Amino acid sequence: MLEKIARPEEIRRWDGDMPVRHRYTPGVAGDAFFTALKDRGVLLGSRCEHCSYTFVPARLFCERCFAELAADTEVGPGGELVSFTIVFVGIEGEPLESPRTIGAVRLDGADAVVIHRVLEPGEEPLEIGERVEVVVRPDTQRTGSVLDIEGFRVGG
Amino acid sequence: MARRVAVVGAGMTKFVRRAQETGKELAWEASREALVSCELPLDRIDAVCLTSAPDAFDGVHMKGEYLSDGAGAFGRPYMRTYVGGGSGVFTAIQAYYTVASGMADVVLAVAEEKMSSTQPHPQGAFLTIFDNILERPLGPNLLWIFALEMNRYMTVHGIDKRDIAAVAVKNKRNAADHPAALLGQADITIEDVLASETLAWPVQRLDVSPISDGAVAIVVASEEAAKQITSDPVWIQGVGWNLDTAYWTNRDLVFPEYVANAARMAYGMAGVTEPRKQIHVAEPYDPFDYKELHHLEGLLLFDKGKAPEAARDGVLDRKGDLPSCPSGGLLGVGNPIAAAGLMKLAELFWQLRGEAGARQVPGTPERGVAQAWGDLMQVGTVVVMGREGGPPTTATQLETPPAATPPAATPATSLSDAEFRSATGAVEDEIGAKYAWDAGVAIGRFLDGLREGKILGRECRVCHRVLVPPRMFCERDFRGTDAWVQVENTGVVQTFSICNVRWDMQPLDEPELPAVISIDGSNGGFLHTLGEVKPDEVTIGMKVEAVWKPVGERRGSILDIAYFRPRTDG
Repeated sequence: MLEKIARPEEIRRWDGDMPVRHRYTPGVAGDAFFTALKDRGVLLGSRCEHCSYTFVPARLFCERCFAELAADTEVGPGGELVSFTIVFVGIEGEPLESPRTIGAVRLDGADAVVIHRVLEPGEEPLEIGERVEVVVRPDTQRTGSVLDIEGFRVGG
Repeated sequence: MARRVAVVGAGMTKFVRRAQETGKELAWEASREALVSCELPLDRIDAVCLTSAPDAFDGVHMKGEYLSDGAGAFGRPYMRTYVGGGSGVFTAIQAYYTVASGMADVVLAVAEEKMSSTQPHPQGAFLTIFDNILERPLGPNLLWIFALEMNRYMTVHGIDKRDIAAVAVKNKRNAADHPAALLGQADITIEDVLASETLAWPVQRLDVSPISDGAVAIVVASEEAAKQITSDPVWIQGVGWNLDTAYWTNRDLVFPEYVANAARMAYGMAGVTEPRKQIHVAEPYDPFDYKELHHLEGLLLFDKGKAPEAARDGVLDRKGDLPSCPSGGLLGVGNPIAAAGLMKLAELFWQLRGEAGARQVPGTPERGVAQAWGDLMQVGTVVVMGREGGPPTTATQLETPPAATPPAATPATSLSDAEFRSATGAVEDEIGAKYAWDAGVAIGRFLDGLREGKILGRECRVCHRVLVPPRMFCERDFRGTDAWVQVENTGVVQTFSICNVRWDMQPLDEPELPAVISIDGSNGGFLHTLGEVKPDEVTIGMKVEAVWKPVGERRGSILDIAYFRPRTDG
């Protein structure tokens, strides 16, 4: 039944797309998190006393026991580097001009781990378990975005 | 032997145009309300069934995984099912068989949809349900399918548009008593519907349900667990689901056989032999007003073509002989797609317990049917629910006034468009994926034929059908088709629409005339457009012929046929 295609240029392809964009709103807990980040430069989490677990960013509910939570717990700015990776290629597989380091950090006072850039890791190799600190941009540059956080600085 | 299964709790958010809550937060609010309604903590839930329609609405790939925490799935067996618009009812079927099989005793079934995320219009996500090679070049929009089906349904049965508009009026009026409704309107009239903007004739603005955000959840339990949880379980007596052909232009556009097949399956399981006597309340799927009537006939509750008279005569009203969509349905409560289907089961739960407050249908109904429809417009999903023990003793014996109209709490915050546009932390982005579709074997040859000015089909010598567009296999006999056949360049208009809007609801300068045409010498229909004819001169049954592009301009595309026009040879 199948016909062999001898000349690849004869393959008929129809190009297309799905012409949609998406607008993502941060929700109830996200609103509190981003407003605090923008206005005060702090990171808000949500503490579930029943589960003894602090989520960050803030959440409206505890996924473990379904309790309603408030954005009531400031976390960081210090934290522990839980893991990291050094990225050499971009999203299309192209080499990056300079490698980027991405860290997973458990901020002080939080149980959940967040991901962000590690700023200028320096000459010394990074070590899992070392101390880092969140660097928040100056208030004039903050817009209410995850990029209001510049990244994690080693030390602190 | 399957175990008996009951619904013991239900909850839902408000259905709103733009929710402040994320999809996760909506799912959690509905799930929490469902648990609160039957006083269960999350740790009593053994497994979670979730549904949500296309990922492209929320703009989240793997939406099931994304929504899992809001659905209470942390640390539990969990699965998202998805059958398009039929999803909301199907997730209850999934919960049913998860419990009936003995795999779990108490299951949370959750349905969520956040359509406001899709810009500029959720229809953009629907475009790829059309055949990307044979239909999309024609510039279709989703309304075409509904308008074409509605026109044929109306024409074949001689239905008055007023009788269809009566459904929109009934549902929007019913929804005025629903605390979670988006479009409840107690004073709407048939004239309002008939005066609303014509989108794709015969579909007008108020014939259509609104784009919505929202979530619904129900708690489903085994007989033993149900009796511990509540004195008033509502039993899932039967479930059914069924698929018609994936080629929508090949389906019977007048009668939804897929619904009838699903209904027969569910009625058989429920022991319902005379649905018109044994079903006391119905929640058929009503994304468009004619669809409710179509589906009531598919549910075997009315003879073919007779449901519109019932709408006209008040039979479907809340106090009529067969109350239909007492909730207000998708047309009134709203249509966050997957959530809207599960809302129908929640309504039956409240109605059959006698708890529906201002929406309660009289006469202590004992059995109801909920139905939804979806996939590529060819799936029917049906659930029969009942009390089996007569009226709810607790509700009728209580001296206290009836509780407030459910749902008891209706979280979800509605944002204005300005708030939506300016929300702190909001991000706008696109998936940015591009696709390249290969024509495949049958369609590749078909397109070669078009370039030569021939319409080619494939013949199946078992069912004696000639398939146009051709397929290399017959879906009915599940065998290879036998031979190429050149069919005529002429055909008959099965149905048509006069479409005034693009897929993003922007007005067109000139109306388009999509039509389903059965090509002479083939079986089944074929989507194309009409030309060289005034819109008001097109009729169903009109004989048409293909108008080919000049040879030099043909490129092996469905557009090598410029359009079909009335036959010039008489």
